[in-house]
Amino acid sequence: MESISRISSLLETARDLTLEAARDAGPRKSTRPLPAQQIKKLLDSRTEREVLDGLRRVIAMQYANPPQPTLTFFPAVLKTLSNPYPSTRPLVYNYLIHHAEADPDTALLSINTIQKSLSDSNPRVRAMALKTMAGIRVPVISQIVSLAIKKGVSDLSPIVRKAAALACVKCVRLDASTKPQVEEYIATLLTDKQYYVAGAAVQAFMEVCPDRLDLVHPAYRKLCRMIADMDEWGQLALLRLMTVYARRCFPRRTKTVKRAQTREAKAKDFYEDLEPGAEESEAEYDEIEQIEPDLALFLKAVQPLLQSRNSAVIVSVARAYLYLSPTNYLHHAVGPLIALLRSPQDIQQVALCNIVQVCLCNPQHFVPYYRHFLIHSTEASQIWRLKLEVLTLIFPFCGKDVQHLILAELEHFSHGHNVDLVRESVRAIGRCAQSSDAATSRRCLSLLLKQIHSPDQHLVGEAMEVVRHLIQRSPDEHRKTVVRLAKNLDSLTSPTARASIVWLVGEFAGYEPDDNIAADVLRILVRGYADEDDQVRAQIVLLAAKVYLHYLNAKNGKQKAIDALDGPDDGEKRDKEVMSPTEDDDEGFREDAFGHSGPIQQAEQQLEEQQHAIELLYQHTMLLARYTPSYDLRDRARLFRALLSVPSSTELASLLLLAPKPVPQAPSPSESRKNFALGSASLVVGAEAGISGVKGYEPIPDWVLEGREPDAKLRDDGDGKAEYVPASQRAAVSAGQMLDEALQADPGYKSNGGVKKEKTLDDWLDEEEEETSSKDSEERSGDEEGDRETEEESEYETDSEEDEKAGLVR
Amino acid sequence: MSAIEALYIFDEHNNLILNHTYIGRPPPPSTLLPLYLQHASPRPSLIYLPTTNPPTLLYSMIQDNLLFFSPLSSDTEPLLVLEFLHRVADALEEFLGSPLLASKITANYDVVAQVIAEIADGGVPCQGEANALRDVVETGPGVLNNLLGKVGLPGGSAPGLQGGPSGRLHTPPLRPAETAQGSAVPWRRSNVRHTSNELYVDLVETLSVTLAPSGRPLSAFAYGSIAFTSKVSGVPDLLLSLSTGGKGGGMGNRGDQLRSVIERVVFHPCVRLNRWNSDGVLSFVPPDGRFALCGYEVDLLGPDAPLTAGKTAANNLNLPAMVEITTGLGSSGSDFEVRMTQPSSSSSRAGSAAAASLQSNLGSGSRPGSFRAGSGGGESKGSALENLTVRVPLPAGVRNISDMRPSKGEAHWNPADGSVEWKVPSKDFGPAGVVLRCTVQGPLSDADEAGGMLNGVTATTYDYTDDEPATYQSQHDSDSTAGGTNGAQDNSRTRAQKNRALMPTSTTLSFSIKGWLASGLKVESLLVDTKKSRGLGPEVKPYKGVKYLTVSRDGIEVRC
Repeated sequence: MESISRISSLLETARDLTLEAARDAGPRKSTRPLPAQQIKKLLDSRTEREVLDGLRRVIAMQYANPPQPTLTFFPAVLKTLSNPYPSTRPLVYNYLIHHAEADPDTALLSINTIQKSLSDSNPRVRAMALKTMAGIRVPVISQIVSLAIKKGVSDLSPIVRKAAALACVKCVRLDASTKPQVEEYIATLLTDKQYYVAGAAVQAFMEVCPDRLDLVHPAYRKLCRMIADMDEWGQLALLRLMTVYARRCFPRRTKTVKRAQTREAKAKDFYEDLEPGAEESEAEYDEIEQIEPDLALFLKAVQPLLQSRNSAVIVSVARAYLYLSPTNYLHHAVGPLIALLRSPQDIQQVALCNIVQVCLCNPQHFVPYYRHFLIHSTEASQIWRLKLEVLTLIFPFCGKDVQHLILAELEHFSHGHNVDLVRESVRAIGRCAQSSDAATSRRCLSLLLKQIHSPDQHLVGEAMEVVRHLIQRSPDEHRKTVVRLAKNLDSLTSPTARASIVWLVGEFAGYEPDDNIAADVLRILVRGYADEDDQVRAQIVLLAAKVYLHYLNAKNGKQKAIDALDGPDDGEKRDKEVMSPTEDDDEGFREDAFGHSGPIQQAEQQLEEQQHAIELLYQHTMLLARYTPSYDLRDRARLFRALLSVPSSTELASLLLLAPKPVPQAPSPSESRKNFALGSASLVVGAEAGISGVKGYEPIPDWVLEGREPDAKLRDDGDGKAEYVPASQRAAVSAGQMLDEALQADPGYKSNGGVKKEKTLDDWLDEEEEETSSKDSEERSGDEEGDRETEEESEYETDSEEDEKAGLVR
Repeated sequence: MSAIEALYIFDEHNNLILNHTYIGRPPPPSTLLPLYLQHASPRPSLIYLPTTNPPTLLYSMIQDNLLFFSPLSSDTEPLLVLEFLHRVADALEEFLGSPLLASKITANYDVVAQVIAEIADGGVPCQGEANALRDVVETGPGVLNNLLGKVGLPGGSAPGLQGGPSGRLHTPPLRPAETAQGSAVPWRRSNVRHTSNELYVDLVETLSVTLAPSGRPLSAFAYGSIAFTSKVSGVPDLLLSLSTGGKGGGMGNRGDQLRSVIERVVFHPCVRLNRWNSDGVLSFVPPDGRFALCGYEVDLLGPDAPLTAGKTAANNLNLPAMVEITTGLGSSGSDFEVRMTQPSSSSSRAGSAAAASLQSNLGSGSRPGSFRAGSGGGESKGSALENLTVRVPLPAGVRNISDMRPSKGEAHWNPADGSVEWKVPSKDFGPAGVVLRCTVQGPLSDADEAGGMLNGVTATTYDYTDDEPATYQSQHDSDSTAGGTNGAQDNSRTRAQKNRALMPTSTTLSFSIKGWLASGLKVESLLVDTKKSRGLGPEVKPYKGVKYLTVSRDGIEVRC
């Protein structure tokens, strides 16, 4: 969803004017810098207004660019903590957090006052004190912070409990040795009834100990039910947690069932149901995934989140669906993903990366939304690149008219002025041709061939490359195309395109030796050799080598046949017939382009006795290559000469030059990042981040193997509690190990677990209903508790104050 | 790891105005900025910088000319960070007023520092709701009053709107002491008190329409948002019903009708999804002040528009203005012409639709006249077309526009981004339409002659026999006809062809209309549920206002 500030900017028509006016009018507060002495005086003042003014100036100095030294005010600022004004406290805390690291000794002076605030009667003050204390980056106090959190965890006010959850993160950052204690706190907070406390606890869990999935078991179902009410950040953390949790704790089960039938078949079945013995073939069976009830609970619970305004939440839900249950749920997430395309540009770009990723797995879902991926001329290149990719991905799944539209669209952009866009859209046409049936593929090809006449060099070069790939994919169909392309050599100027065509002609030199244009093309090209670009020259030399090789092969083959027959036939003559089909094919080339064909033929005739025309052509080309400035080309020519030096042995040369070429594949550009998890930064960064992704990237874990998963019983609210062992005693024991231990300890347990697994769905549903009803009553009582809470607050405070004093004494 | 490490804000001249580090030692802004500026604009929102120490993922966002940076050293959900940056901008705007200006930030570091520290605790984002921050951020006695008074802009985050001076200015600054228990509603600050109770609904739709050269619409979407301004004491419970204005009829109950028109809806967390799914109404307890209630999109072509529909379909869109472009005019084909017209059907329909919406507003309020049609400046007429602008992007080869002849309005050529911009005052824009004709000049002609010779294919007898699809671009290929031409004829032909490469391929139209929505959506009623509301006396009748606005920002694109 557009943020409110963006909507406001739409509403304000005279926005720019307002900007100007506001700048001129400007909020001119009295921010003239005062000398340090005077600021100190303000801080020492007794009136709230003056102290506040002093603090504001200090904070302003601290943030000013370039920052001004404010450390000297530390004692003076701390002293203001003793003032009774609530308004100054947030600023002092802010200052304290900012400067504590620079002067830890002075910072420690404030701890006492903050500790006192921890038992203030106002929960907001308590929360703020806890937050500040945890934020002071002085490792010495880690134990005090840990104690304060412990107290906050059991606070009656959810605000304080939330602050405690967030303080856990800071406490572990401050001193890693407090981790075991903190994990215990988090375990308690995860089961909190108040949804925003639980949300913060999940965030803390993900920061502190994302591997301790055993802590999640008892809270699992509760968290699933609360997710819709949490704030967005809690939802995000929980979605991340649950995706990992589900992979680790629910084995993937599939069942082969009868394939879903068409409606008619169903109707037929309905009537024929009574007649048994209908034959069923193997093909009618399909593997479908079976979803555990607990997993289904989560997948269902997150469905409302698809209407969240937060794009990150939507992508996270899509991720959960994609990796947990692509067949049953993923389609729900597609519409909301499309909705992200109307977000601001920065979000749109990242969203598109994720859409492409989903699209690579499941293009069909996106077909109805093809209109959303049409490109606007004003879009940034990062966006149209991805849109083009989606269009090509869904192309094979579209109907005829949509395919037509997409092709017309691509054609339009291939005529544009933006070089990159032209290149990408031509490539996109190539990808479309690759992935679709023969008729459409032909249409794409003819579309590309039309581009060859464009005056735009980039377009021609790129189109030719793509055409070459297409022809290589199915050479047999395209012999005629090659002939037609060769005709274009008269007029084409783009070196890339020319080189591509020459190469293609060379590749096709072996087909139909009786009617091949390769030799003739070579003859014409050699004439203009001097004017060609280097890459075309290289291809001409290669073509000469190939033509000569084919000639030699044919000659040797004939020689062998003759030898075998022992016949004294005149091989040369037949050869001539075979190898110079030029006369027949000549009409294709415009006469004016080579008016000298007559003399050449004459020369041919003359030299026939000694050497065949192709031999001469080859030698001439090699000679030309020898005097080419490019040393690479000269090297190549030497190579060919050496390869073909003995006319009777061509095996090695055939191996080298006539090897079957692998069919080129032009994968979708995002194919390279397919392995990155949806919603990760590595996915957006792509190949730049390397194979293992950006630092801190965590792939989605594999499904747990069946039988290795923790028992479902652990998630029962009651049982989970019973098995609770203090965290310190089982520091790095995984849930699976724990289960194994439990199995060993209790032999009767095993059979129990077995029974559990065979529970039918109905049993589960019954159980669930019971749970929800009990949950309802629980909630109701919870609400009442909440109401009572406020009344009891004052009562409680006195108690906690006493506790606090006790703590201080200790 | 999803902790934000730092937040940097730069002003429009790329001067650092805020530098806040949450955790760790991220690269300083002075290192990041040049690396960011290396990329061509528009710059990607996520840039990976392997050369910094530590290697950094740089997230960036631009809002109100301010540049927001957040560097991170490890893989985090990119959208989380970007959403966070947007929330920071929203929160700052809530406290400092809109638009967000660099001078406001530098003048109020004390408030900014608190907002930034509260919105993410130790780098963990924990409070996304700007309004709820009001409970915890200490603005001190008179900070906001001072600020707003001196800016000379009307009220907090709703400047220039219906709010006027009656809004937040009168609300007393809150002390945390008063709000000790916290609000029962996480997104609403506690103890809201207003002297005058007001509710405003703003429906804003942004158009995104693409037309093929034939005039056939390829895609037509209206992206809508509902901005809501609530200035009501206590905890009001509101019920907002929308109606489709006759679209989607025959779809069962009203909720279904509505859902068939507005698709892919997203909501502010305050909206009760159950009520939306069952009745198609928005039931919610709003945050105080201004917020985005809901976002949706409308497919103006309808769900199953035939792909073969002709030009008539474009008229069905009911757009208030339409633009056509013809290229390759003149003797040497160096002219192009842009014609802006008023589709015959739309002007009357738009007007009547607006009038109808006005009527319904007047009728449906609890008191007559309690709804005010919020068209700008209190004008009573229906829809007002404003800011009519046509932009024609031209290829990089165009050196100059030698001649621009608009029949109305003003046109100018902007060499920096290579486009012609043509502004037409709405009063000059009548049913007769307006025309702009331009002549382009290509690169200097020294190289031209040679270029003409090298210029690819001149004429070929290309006859590829495969079935050629009948493309929608009829004029394409028109000049690749065969024939050996010569002399002057050939010359002019090559020139025309050269000029073809200088012709624009598309044009875009921008405008805004008040009092009219492309989707025809209307606010049917806005009720305060007095039973569920708290702290609001039954005698209080809030003042209600509704405003419709349709905007196209280069959103209507016509190809040629």
